[in-house]
Amino acid sequence: MAQQRPQKKLFTRKKSCRFCGEKDLAINYKDVKTLRNFVSERGKIIPRRIVGTCATHQRQLCEAIKQARQIAFLPYSGSTQG
Amino acid sequence: MRRYETIFILRPNVGEDEIIKVIESTTQIILKEKGTILEMNRWGIKKLAYLIKKESLGYYVYCDYAGTPAAVAELERKFRIDDSVLKYLTIKTAISITEEGIQEALAAISAKETAKLEGEETDSIDSDDAEEENNLEETE
Repeated sequence: MAQQRPQKKLFTRKKSCRFCGEKDLAINYKDVKTLRNFVSERGKIIPRRIVGTCATHQRQLCEAIKQARQIAFLPYSGSTQG
Repeated sequence: MRRYETIFILRPNVGEDEIIKVIESTTQIILKEKGTILEMNRWGIKKLAYLIKKESLGYYVYCDYAGTPAAVAELERKFRIDDSVLKYLTIKTAISITEEGIQEALAAISAKETAKLEGEETDSIDSDDAEEENNLEETE
């Protein structure tokens, strides 16, 4: 009987980091629209292996998100909409 | 002189006088320590992502300045005492900034503001026509 292996073992395909690429967006805690892309619906920070950012930018992102949470631009937990 | 950015949130229902008083005291503190204020922006009332002291709206004020750490400490002490300030956040954006750096920053900020105003003017020309059309529809 042929067993079909589910593709769980494969890593996600190599995405390029958004910030290292052509866009050159600056990571700023005031820029809520960009930060929203890296935060889940519940307000949690999305892991780097899913988004595809590089380590340096993920660290900067986390810092920016935490600063934005401090001044209530983003919630600590709960829906980010409304 | 280090370059800092401070955002503080005031209660939404305080009057204009109170807002002016808080902004005045912050400028006084910065200037007393011989700092320079690069930008003082009032962002107005925004919805907060979570309740702060049971308030769901807050009046945001943004301040970009060059100052000493002592000024920052005094500023935060004042904010902690004041009841109308809900939250504050100070971030250091540059370790040191010279006189020339301050001038450059001021120039850059004023250039950005004029560019924004010009953008708004061109937008408003279009929106005036749209407003006239809307008015005609309403009268009919």
